[in-house]
Amino acid sequence: MGTHIEDLVNQKVEQIKNKENIFDSGTVIKVKDYIIEVSGLENVTYFEKVTIWEKGMGYVNQINENSVTVAIVKENAPIKIGDIVKTTGEQFKAVFAKEAIGRIVDIFGTDLLSGKAFEKIKYINIENETIPIMDRREVKRPMLTGIAGIDLIYPIGKGQRQLIIGDKKTGKTQIALDTIVNQGSERAESENDVVCIYIAVGKTKKEIKTIYNELLKRGALSYTTMVVATNDDKQPVVSLIPFVGLSIAEEYMKMKKDVIVVIDDLKKHADTYREISLISGKTPGREAYPADIFYLHARLLEKGCQYKNGGSITILPIVETKGGDITDYISTNIISITDGQIVMSEKEFAKGNKPAINYKNSVSRLGGAVQKAEIKSLGAQIRRTFLSYLETKEVYELANMDEMTEELRNKMKIGAQMQEALNQPKFMPLSNEEIIDKFEAIVKQEGYTNEN
Amino acid sequence: MKVVGKIISISELSVKVLLKDDNVELRDILVCNFNDQEYKFEVVELEENIASLLPFKRVNGLKKGIEVSLDEGGLQMEYSSSILGRIYNSYGDGIDGVKAKSKTKRNVYDRTLSVAEISVKNNPLWTGIKVIDFFAPLQKGYKMGLLGGAGVGKTVLIKELINNVYKKFQSNAIFIGVGERSREGKELYDEMKADDLLDKMSMVFGQMGESPCARSKAVYSGLTAAEYLRDENNQDVLVFIDNIYRFIQAKSEISTELKRIPIENGYPTTMASDISEVEERINSTETGSITSFQAIYIPADDITDDAVQSVTTHLDGQIVLDRKVAEKGLYPAINVFKSSSKAIDPEKIGRRHYDLVQETLKYLSRYEELEEIIAVLGIDELSEQDKLIFYRSRKLRNYFTQPLFVSENYTGIKGEMVDIEDTLQDVEDILNGVYDGIDEEKLLYRGKLNGESRKEEEPIEQ
Repeated sequence: MGTHIEDLVNQKVEQIKNKENIFDSGTVIKVKDYIIEVSGLENVTYFEKVTIWEKGMGYVNQINENSVTVAIVKENAPIKIGDIVKTTGEQFKAVFAKEAIGRIVDIFGTDLLSGKAFEKIKYINIENETIPIMDRREVKRPMLTGIAGIDLIYPIGKGQRQLIIGDKKTGKTQIALDTIVNQGSERAESENDVVCIYIAVGKTKKEIKTIYNELLKRGALSYTTMVVATNDDKQPVVSLIPFVGLSIAEEYMKMKKDVIVVIDDLKKHADTYREISLISGKTPGREAYPADIFYLHARLLEKGCQYKNGGSITILPIVETKGGDITDYISTNIISITDGQIVMSEKEFAKGNKPAINYKNSVSRLGGAVQKAEIKSLGAQIRRTFLSYLETKEVYELANMDEMTEELRNKMKIGAQMQEALNQPKFMPLSNEEIIDKFEAIVKQEGYTNEN
Repeated sequence: MKVVGKIISISELSVKVLLKDDNVELRDILVCNFNDQEYKFEVVELEENIASLLPFKRVNGLKKGIEVSLDEGGLQMEYSSSILGRIYNSYGDGIDGVKAKSKTKRNVYDRTLSVAEISVKNNPLWTGIKVIDFFAPLQKGYKMGLLGGAGVGKTVLIKELINNVYKKFQSNAIFIGVGERSREGKELYDEMKADDLLDKMSMVFGQMGESPCARSKAVYSGLTAAEYLRDENNQDVLVFIDNIYRFIQAKSEISTELKRIPIENGYPTTMASDISEVEERINSTETGSITSFQAIYIPADDITDDAVQSVTTHLDGQIVLDRKVAEKGLYPAINVFKSSSKAIDPEKIGRRHYDLVQETLKYLSRYEELEEIIAVLGIDELSEQDKLIFYRSRKLRNYFTQPLFVSENYTGIKGEMVDIEDTLQDVEDILNGVYDGIDEEKLLYRGKLNGESRKEEEPIEQ
């Protein structure tokens, strides 16, 4: 026991002899996966970047009375007790580079395709203070996805946070990719420049490369950057990556650009954060998530807004559910933060309805406020009649068609036509005009009643 | 300012200080400056000469050894008529760039009410929202809870109530935003300003992107403002809190950070007393009243959640929003079986209203059972009596939807307020079969009906 303390003292004496500033260095005294405890480092600031001598890099995530806790973000060789840790005098920061458009970058700003760093870079905070209430403006400009079921029924506005939620393999990421690709044609008409940021949270390298290829093939990389933390990155990196992506988005927003951010996905992010919290000894709450899990996602998603200078950040976070249950803890947390949700359903997928949107559970809290006048009233009408059809269908499914009133029969027929019209293959965006033509034909036919 | 100690440890949501002055109390405000940044903290725990502090904002860039000073007076809120028309953060600072006209302030924790001061009266307060006025009517001085899971329409309903009640009565109102969306806060402010309604209202925001400290203080600052209007101006005040659950949630985060042992689901052990401290301040006196509408978030759609239950014990009534109702496209998505009010009493609302509520609930609960039967056997298998109940209940259900002013954008239909007398007449008519011949669709998203069926021709069904 005594030897360890002795070693520490001897080390300090040695350092003082070498005229090193002992306040700026410390020694590893505990290693717990990617969380290490360091004695010394008296001069360190909270969230400062520190280096573990020739072995890696981390940031200060807690300053204790007699030690400092560091989360490791990079580890080249195994860290062991006694390793020297040094302060850098600067905060752990993210990198902003305009050249990153069209590339896949990691948390350190490295271009993962070339393996190199960018030339012209600017260091930015990984997380800024939340955007003040009074700096926000009303969300009212449409952000078109090219998907009829969304642009018509549950529209998204620039600055909105719209969740995409559903089980595995129901087409969640596809909705996001469709949206990114659709910005290619939207960009030409938009008054602001559009930038898309795809944030991968702990995805596999293969998934990331596939998405890259899809975007490349469709010319979407000329305005898209991919900010990624892969499956095998250190957990603290995975938990910080959405913040990095959004800090980059804030830079663009402040240049008066319309930024669209996809976060794929937040369930994985929540689980990563839970893991780090539990390893750091935080008390578990509901489903073992720490108490501040809501705050984590709230402050992340609150970065989405219509900013006072005219720029905006639209966020499309993705959440994966199990067994189609959107009422679990993390999902409801995120639903209560976002401005609406697109629910993807396995059932619809199996029925061949694509995109497999569950229209009954989907919501847009902004609704017609973000639609142009031409499509707004049609959208409200279709939403009402289509939802009413879905509900009636369930109740009267077993009823005898011949005994139905004329009105009811028409309702069923037209509802089925709407369902058909909402189906749309991937990467086949429709403009607002095309959507209007398609659906006006349905509501104009005989037998369609629009009550109220 | 006097230096009282220096920082010895820092974590994301708390900071510890070694005190050299024993004159520091719980809820004192301490301040330090470092690298051109001001950091503020509230004292939440004292142990010998160590104080645990809650930072107002993020602590990135802070380090050990920095000296902290005492900010005399603690957390304060403006205490004068100049609060009207203004918008504040949780800490009582105006955020609208307007210069405060008055310097009078009061500590936000100072006021408690005694039993003698509290007044209980019975004056009805109609909201113009059919389903609320019918199933869960309000009285002046009531505390009404609006419970609901994520995305079933709590905020929309709160906004509709502001629209109907505040606009109609032109009384003073305080809006307290706790842990909700900043976008909605700003939009509410903009709308009030555009409609020239801001002059009788004051807003306090500690929204979801802000620290747990901020989210836990907004209620205190907001209530201090409400108390000014009630106690000094002798007014009837409306208090809207969106969302009181977030107050407890913030307290949980703080409690975890202080390494206190939690109760079920990570809630703080002090939860019940934390809520009581706040709720007991929301009361009426002989000279002024506070009527409050409190949105309550139901985490994971679990209405038995401890935090939710702790709040509801304080309420005079509750309106429960239900995902199952919302899925059917019926808004406001209120579950009429779980919604209730202490005013549902023949002495308070009259025999007719009371009987109609009971009869309607009887119909609707039978309808729920019938729905299950129909799912298996189809409608044709029902008895004539049940068929009647089935169709009339569907009409009742549709009738209780309503076009809301604040969701005009969403529904494309103009909002409507309905007088309680009209609602009672319409419900009575539906129950008596006056509308039997009308397609149920025609009752969706309407205001009052008032015997319009009598103009209709032949019944279509049967």
